[in-house]
Amino acid sequence: MQNRIVLKEIKIFLLLLVTIILTSILGQIIAFGGFEIQVKKHIIKMIFGLTILFVISRVNIRFWKSFAFLIYVLNLFCLLLVCFLGATKLGAQRWIDFYFFSFQPSEFMKLSLIFAIASYYSDLSEYEFKELKSHLLPFVLTIVPAIIILKQPDLGTAMLLSGVGIGMIFLAGFPTKAFIWSTIGFLGVCPIGWHFLRDYQKNRILNFIDPDRDPLGTGYHILQSRIAIGSGHIFGKGLFQGTQSSLNFLPEKHTDFIFTTISEELGFVGSVFIIFLFAGLIYFFFYIGNGTKSRFSRYLCFGLGLMLFLHVFINIGMVLGILPVVGVPLPFLSYGGSSLITFMISCGLMMSMLLKVKE
Amino acid sequence: MLKDRDLKELLSFRKNFVLILIGLLCLVLIGNLYILQIKHVQKYRLMSDKNRIRVLPMTPKRGRIVSSDGKVLAFCDYKHRIVMDRCSKKVFEENIDILDKYLNFTKEEKENLFNLRKRRLPSIIVKDELSRDEFAKVSMNLFRLKGVHILNTFSRHYSMPLEFSHLIGYTAKNTNEFQVLTGKTGLEFFFDKKLRGNIGNIQKEVNAAGCNIRIIDQENPVNGEDIKLTIDSVIQKFVYDLLSNYKVGACCVLDMKGNIVALVSFPGYDINSMSLGISHTQWNELNINEYKPMLNRFSSSVYPPGSVFKIVTAYAALSEGIVSPKDRISCLGGVKLDGHTFHCWHRGGHGKLNIYEALIYSCDCYFFQVAKKLGIQKLDKYARELGFGQKTGIELPNEKSGLIPNKEWKLIRRKSYWKPYETMIAGIGQGYVLTNLIQIASMMGKIYSNDLNYFPSLLPKDRAESPIPLKKEACDVIKTALHMVCEIGTARKSCRTVYGIAGKTGSSQVRSIKANEVGVNQQLIEWKSRDHALFAGVAPAASPKYIVAVIIEHGGGGGSVAAPIARKIFDKLLEKNAK
Repeated sequence: MQNRIVLKEIKIFLLLLVTIILTSILGQIIAFGGFEIQVKKHIIKMIFGLTILFVISRVNIRFWKSFAFLIYVLNLFCLLLVCFLGATKLGAQRWIDFYFFSFQPSEFMKLSLIFAIASYYSDLSEYEFKELKSHLLPFVLTIVPAIIILKQPDLGTAMLLSGVGIGMIFLAGFPTKAFIWSTIGFLGVCPIGWHFLRDYQKNRILNFIDPDRDPLGTGYHILQSRIAIGSGHIFGKGLFQGTQSSLNFLPEKHTDFIFTTISEELGFVGSVFIIFLFAGLIYFFFYIGNGTKSRFSRYLCFGLGLMLFLHVFINIGMVLGILPVVGVPLPFLSYGGSSLITFMISCGLMMSMLLKVKE
Repeated sequence: MLKDRDLKELLSFRKNFVLILIGLLCLVLIGNLYILQIKHVQKYRLMSDKNRIRVLPMTPKRGRIVSSDGKVLAFCDYKHRIVMDRCSKKVFEENIDILDKYLNFTKEEKENLFNLRKRRLPSIIVKDELSRDEFAKVSMNLFRLKGVHILNTFSRHYSMPLEFSHLIGYTAKNTNEFQVLTGKTGLEFFFDKKLRGNIGNIQKEVNAAGCNIRIIDQENPVNGEDIKLTIDSVIQKFVYDLLSNYKVGACCVLDMKGNIVALVSFPGYDINSMSLGISHTQWNELNINEYKPMLNRFSSSVYPPGSVFKIVTAYAALSEGIVSPKDRISCLGGVKLDGHTFHCWHRGGHGKLNIYEALIYSCDCYFFQVAKKLGIQKLDKYARELGFGQKTGIELPNEKSGLIPNKEWKLIRRKSYWKPYETMIAGIGQGYVLTNLIQIASMMGKIYSNDLNYFPSLLPKDRAESPIPLKKEACDVIKTALHMVCEIGTARKSCRTVYGIAGKTGSSQVRSIKANEVGVNQQLIEWKSRDHALFAGVAPAASPKYIVAVIIEHGGGGGSVAAPIARKIFDKLLEKNAK
């Protein structure tokens, strides 16, 4: 009886995954205007990601629980290492170059953080849950890498990391009163935080408030993105008919602005379809997390779901012009290795949990 | 698993809270998509098109101006121009580097271009006139340049720049409207719409870097119409050369249908250089020049007509029956009124004169007395009938209508009552009376064609309006008298010819002269104070074909200066006609 339910869930999960992968390939075909060499590369990366997914799904979930803190500490160490040694790409130090691929510690920090917090809460007694001080450690675990990443500087990932961490602490029952007070306190501290931002980050936020401030400067991206999306109408301009993307008015049309590219050619219908697809996947994570008996699995699912949601929301919010331009890719759809692997690992973990229940 | 109910409830609540929050935020995204893609779709469609479509103007060819003998007086030269759209500094520098190879900019030109870029115009002109070689090289490499286009433009040239300077006027580039040539004065201004034609355009699709992708739509320009004038370029040049012997003057030659054969103002200025753009110093020189070469003397400046106006007074008096041809009035060298003496130009007096003699010898006293009898209101009426005090309607801008005074005008404009002596001096074309040269020529035309509907025109016209005849008896008297003027009168020295000229001389005072200055040789006084020399006449006297009106500013006597010019013009006209 139970097996049949889980089987059904695996089917739903695979269906969601396949749909997303197909959408992703379609998106890249749109972005490159045909089945170009880059699209093939993207597919190869997909296959590589799926291999990782398969490997992870064969690893028992308990393994991650026991090594959670070790992974976290190693990752934090790498993060610090990047600050000193990391190759400078795009003006930010985010990579460590290995012989065959470049490793981005900040990307995997999201996963390490989720592991660490989930592991921490799974060992907590019920009494300790209600204590304020027991929530202090997850907060520190979140804030330390977030500050390092902010210094790199990578505002997007820092925001994401704090979002995931705070979300998880909130889900773990952080006392309501204290939560409200600290929120108020945080808003009070914000103006001070403004001074710690780099000029280009300040610019991004200012341009987000007023995109016409500098139409050919940084605000140009948002404006062009809005024009592309806005000119799409209900069914879009049609496949390969998007003028904004094909005539290069869109910046980074295949990575951060992939949603815009698709939205211009497939319109409101296509855009809402993508949002629903992600909403479905996010809900699936929360649904499985709620149903699992292991506390570690529960927080792991919540954490992964939150991470997925924050990526989707920040990315789409950014291209729509309702959030500042911060370099956050759209899960699965954006062209690029690191983030794809992170989400493939997430799905691998989900698969592993589903399969474990089956056993 | 958790056993504590409170905690369980709290965590379950938190989970649902987060899920609802996520759902709401997803709705926010969808809502924004709705606003962008459905509610404001028109706005963003438009912006998207504006992004990708660049509209380039196609300049029409400005119409030519041709003289009646087929000489092309104004025409356009075809040329190519390089235009660059607004772009980033990097692209701009790349473009300039590539263009530099073919165009070899000087340092100054380059600096100029960089300064132009800073003005944030939608597009700038990189090079205005391309040689054939440069055009070929740049158009071959156009694909390497971003946002650079080659456009066709025209420059305006004039074949007889000095002779026709006031008549044709000049053009300048319009700064707002794609730099189309626009007429600034003269015929270029008056017929600007006709000459200009309609601008066409090309709609090109460009990418973000400004590279041309394809042509979406093209609307060809409509070239301007040619204008054929009634002017004879040979006569025009002949007249101009004649006038160039004097300092400042103007001449108008008409035929009996009202066609203007020549219309000259001297000194002229070079309209070719005006059209191509002149420097600030050149412009200033033109403006401070004592002889004001930019001023058009035939329609835009007005003069007191002097004795030529006696024709009007005579016509009015004869028509009204104030005098009959036989009546004699004595001239004693002056007329006393209100204790002031108004002198005749001939101090000794002409003795008893009839109207023929009065016109032949141009007696002032005779016309003082006739005008006094006639009254200003009657004189005003007849002067207006003959076309004074109003625009002739010639196809030129800035025509001045001149002035024929009357009692109402004096009361309104000068705030005082009309005085009888003013009628007297108005009767000999002095005082308030002001006319332009075309009005004088046109008055002669009206009398000799016996048609009050006679109007001068620069374009060949069909006479649609039925003629309004003048008073025949009065005209006959005047025609006889004017013929005699040239045989035995004031113009006898220069105008006694085989074919016969009929005309009237005029020497109009430019300031009120003192009693002791009457009859002083004009050559001895300062140029600025000399009289204007006028002559208006027709030839041949028996069956008139042409009308000539001449004015030499500060030339001295009408008979000694203006009449000989008219004579030479008549000779030339009739010689040409005989061929």
